Amino acid sequence: MSGELIIAIPNKGRLKEPAVKLLAKMGILTDGSDREYLSKTTDREVNVLSVRAADIPVYVYYGIADLGITGKDIISEKGLDLYEIMDLGFGKCDLVVAVRKEMPYKSPSDIPQGSRVATEFSNITKRYFDGLGIQVEIIELRGAMEIAPSLGLADAIVDLTSTGVTLERNGLKSIGKILKSSARLICNKVSYKTKYSAIEMVTTKMRDA
Amino acid sequence: MDFFDIIKEGTGEGFADSLFKVQDSDGKLLTLRGEVTTQIARMLASRARDETRLFYITNCVKYIDSDASGQREYWQAGAELIGGDAASSDAEAIALALSILDSIGLNGAQIDVGSVGLFRYVLNYFGVSDFEGVIRAVKRKSVDDLRGISMNPRALEMFIYMISRRGGIEVIDKLSEMADGDLGGQKGYFRKLFRLLDAYGCAGRVKIDLGTLREMKYYNGIIFEIFLGGIGTPLGGGGRYDAMMKEFGLEESRATGFAISVDTCIRALESCNFSFNSKERPLGIFFLEGYEEAAIALARRLRANGKGCYVSAYNGEREGVLVSEGVLDLSTGKELQLEGMGGL
Repeated sequence: MSGELIIAIPNKGRLKEPAVKLLAKMGILTDGSDREYLSKTTDREVNVLSVRAADIPVYVYYGIADLGITGKDIISEKGLDLYEIMDLGFGKCDLVVAVRKEMPYKSPSDIPQGSRVATEFSNITKRYFDGLGIQVEIIELRGAMEIAPSLGLADAIVDLTSTGVTLERNGLKSIGKILKSSARLICNKVSYKTKYSAIEMVTTKMRDA
Repeated sequence: MDFFDIIKEGTGEGFADSLFKVQDSDGKLLTLRGEVTTQIARMLASRARDETRLFYITNCVKYIDSDASGQREYWQAGAELIGGDAASSDAEAIALALSILDSIGLNGAQIDVGSVGLFRYVLNYFGVSDFEGVIRAVKRKSVDDLRGISMNPRALEMFIYMISRRGGIEVIDKLSEMADGDLGGQKGYFRKLFRLLDAYGCAGRVKIDLGTLREMKYYNGIIFEIFLGGIGTPLGGGGRYDAMMKEFGLEESRATGFAISVDTCIRALESCNFSFNSKERPLGIFFLEGYEEAAIALARRLRANGKGCYVSAYNGEREGVLVSEGVLDLSTGKELQLEGMGGL
């Protein structure tokens, strides 16, 4: 196995299609069956592990996968010690603070102490509001964040947006950007050293693709 | 335990935040041991001596923020060399770390060396101001993030080279060419380090990767990380921390050292099917009513022969032995001869 690389890619969500396409351009094709977590590819040196985008940093940190493709937002949220060797340029979006349109707040620093903030990104959110000196109560949700303010569950949300349409449709407005995200190629720190030439080959192909 | 303020001076705020804290009777903040080097430096600073070599094997504790960084209690084995010439001591520390791993059977271990000194030299040479930003990008080997930081294009070229090249002494030669100089004495240091590593017979297992940076604030010279193929997290690491000795009042002191994660070594050994003796399970000796004394007598005989066992009332178990009129092997259902019990 030592010569073989395992690349973890998202098995669903907005990053899945572009990640699969990128690998295809590099001549790395899986047999296409979605049911396999770990599958061989047309490149003998490369296996693909399909798992949740949010778990990819964990698989790479422990060295189960050598490389991984996932969003900068997820990498920051997990905060694990990894190499982040390439910005792949797709999956661009912003992590923003949003509130109901009728609220008077112009920027995140206007949000009152003790407000409730719903998010999937509790670590980033806590760091961000700690930095502003505002104590907030963080409500961790998994998806459908946009409805939290109108239902009275939260005063604000921290969520990803690429066009702003979903926020708009739910009567929300963005009042500040926390992070610009895009897909990144991450690498296990030990694999980078022990499988240097194989990884170098993949990254070169990826840059050219 | 030690005073929080003192430990924080040595390790820097990030690591200090992750330490367990308790309050002393006079209200001062104390910490439980999260690493050992700072305490050694502090102890030695108050009684300066000539060259000193120390080692430790101990448990440490810290809070774990993330859901993926293991246990809150962990064991570390380490060594510190205080005093001596920088290159000589660093070579000795690196060689010792590798030979310790060899001696427990992890002889594929390798070491990558970086240098905070060299890193600072380049930052200062080009007057790069966004220190934190560069460190973050370098630690993650993110060329794209480096490009987003405003700096002299020659500095950018050097940092990109530093994080993307990994190799032998030629990495330093090339870097000194790029900077038109001896890199503030670093070139001579690295040449000597590799000459000595060669004498220790381990130069081939040591590579220069100038993107190697570690969490602790106290390093000021080389930094190294120890790793093994197939094990995703480093086995340990170390580096030079003269700056911390100065912090504690020893102006002229030099110090280098390393720590190895005992837990990661055990994980590595398990992954190559190393068997730990402690895994042998004790034998259950069960008795029917009226035979407890006989069971205890049997247990004493077996323990005297070094066999671990425990005695308990029979409750339908399928493994172990059953003591009544005779002794029955529960897994085979066969009667055992008492003379043969030593063979259990």
